[in-house]
Amino acid sequence: MPALRGLAALTGWLGRYAWSAWAGVAGLFCLAAAWQAGHEFYGSFILPSPLETLAALSALIREPSFAIAARETAERSLIGFALAVTIGTGAGALAGYSFAAMRLMRPIVTVILGVPPIAWVVLALIWFGSSGGSAIMTVVVAAMPISFAGGLEGVATRDRALDAMARSFGASIWLRFRTVTVPHLISYLFPAWTTTAGTAWKVTVMAELLSNSGGIGGELATARALFDVPLVMALIVAVVTFALATEYVLLQPLRDRLERWREAGLPWGVKR
Amino acid sequence: MKLRLEGIGHAFLGRPVFERLDLTLDVGEVVALLGPSGCGKTTVLQIAVGLIDPLQGRVHRAYRRHAMVFQEPRLLPWMTARDNIAYGLRAVGVTRAQGEAAAVRRAEEVGLHPRDLDKYPIELSGGMRQRAAVARALAVDPDVMFFDEPFTAVDVGLKRVLQDLVIETAARERFSALFVTHDLAEAVRIAHRLVVLSGDALGLVTSRSIEGQPGARSDRDVFELVERWSRDPAFRELFDGERERAA
Repeated sequence: MPALRGLAALTGWLGRYAWSAWAGVAGLFCLAAAWQAGHEFYGSFILPSPLETLAALSALIREPSFAIAARETAERSLIGFALAVTIGTGAGALAGYSFAAMRLMRPIVTVILGVPPIAWVVLALIWFGSSGGSAIMTVVVAAMPISFAGGLEGVATRDRALDAMARSFGASIWLRFRTVTVPHLISYLFPAWTTTAGTAWKVTVMAELLSNSGGIGGELATARALFDVPLVMALIVAVVTFALATEYVLLQPLRDRLERWREAGLPWGVKR
Repeated sequence: MKLRLEGIGHAFLGRPVFERLDLTLDVGEVVALLGPSGCGKTTVLQIAVGLIDPLQGRVHRAYRRHAMVFQEPRLLPWMTARDNIAYGLRAVGVTRAQGEAAAVRRAEEVGLHPRDLDKYPIELSGGMRQRAAVARALAVDPDVMFFDEPFTAVDVGLKRVLQDLVIETAARERFSALFVTHDLAEAVRIAHRLVVLSGDALGLVTSRSIEGQPGARSDRDVFELVERWSRDPAFRELFDGERERAA
């Protein structure tokens, strides 16, 4: 019986989630309309129309080389994302607990943030050569500070009154971390993680393009050399689709699951 | 003797709040701690609970478990009322099923509807939240309860109901309690004994036993005692402080 109720709740949530996609799709179609207008003004060579791009994209997907390239890029950005999130969040949370660590780490993060990703690509190219490693390193270095800031702010702004309440009941550090700090931290981490995920895709493609190490970035370099503008646009659309999928298939459902309590407080009409 | 504070003193940034303060809590005794605003009542309570360490003196505890009800409900917003009430039990390592059973029973005692147990704190009214906070404290079967002006934010009618709830459970479960309040009438209603903390860092000014058992006193008795004591020099500071703050 509880399993049945759980299934019903899941179906309801899926329905609401899919329904909320309409608004997103409408926004995307507005963008497509502006794109079409630009195309009609500048012509196919400068800006291919959305339809031409879609045709190029469907041709691209059918090529076996694209699947390999996409897998390469996906692996690199996923590894980079995972490393950036783990290191960044961990170090940020630690810094949030210790003011000394915070004072030490903040300027370091500012420096890392100040170095343009393109400079990291050059460095990574020298250190790792023309391999996937340079793309991964660039992603980690470029995306880590955001997770760091999220972890830091989340822990530093935890509710000390709730922590005192938990201590008055004799809750252990571990229980307090799980029940008081983490749920609060999550609301800071999700915006940071979605930004990190977006950065991971972008920076991977950039690093691949510059270091000539295959993947979608490599395909993009080839398309540029051939002046195949529809193919360039198709590749861009593909990367954006991957980034959107990461956010709306992976991260948002996870957030909904973890932050159900927040939805409970919203008035009718604001809920999605 | 359940709890004894021996010669405790505390200071914030070098400014002493109170010094050489002695206070004992006997078995089943409810002591109300009064004092003018800013005299360190909450600090005494936090030292007694162990949330902060006193700069001087010692705290002797001769009990198994304590629980605290704060001025604000301090419920975890990401947990349902049920999980919030069971939180203290979870902290001491009681199994989930037992914790839930205790939560349901205590929720009923404080007048929370079973339907409300699956709601998050944000969906409950202010009074409901404070009821849940009281239930959370009761759920751990405490030997000593600490109250930090718990009913200041609830309306008059509900305040009375919650006071009666405290009086009734204290008598039934024989827990000792230290009840911080700035309301003399509230103190006279619920306590066996009343102590007043000085506003000039002098420690306790007076300690008075209140005649009769809490709950057995009529409203007229309470009113007359409050009238008499508000003219008493020992309590003057209590009302001076209020006037000073209003000015």
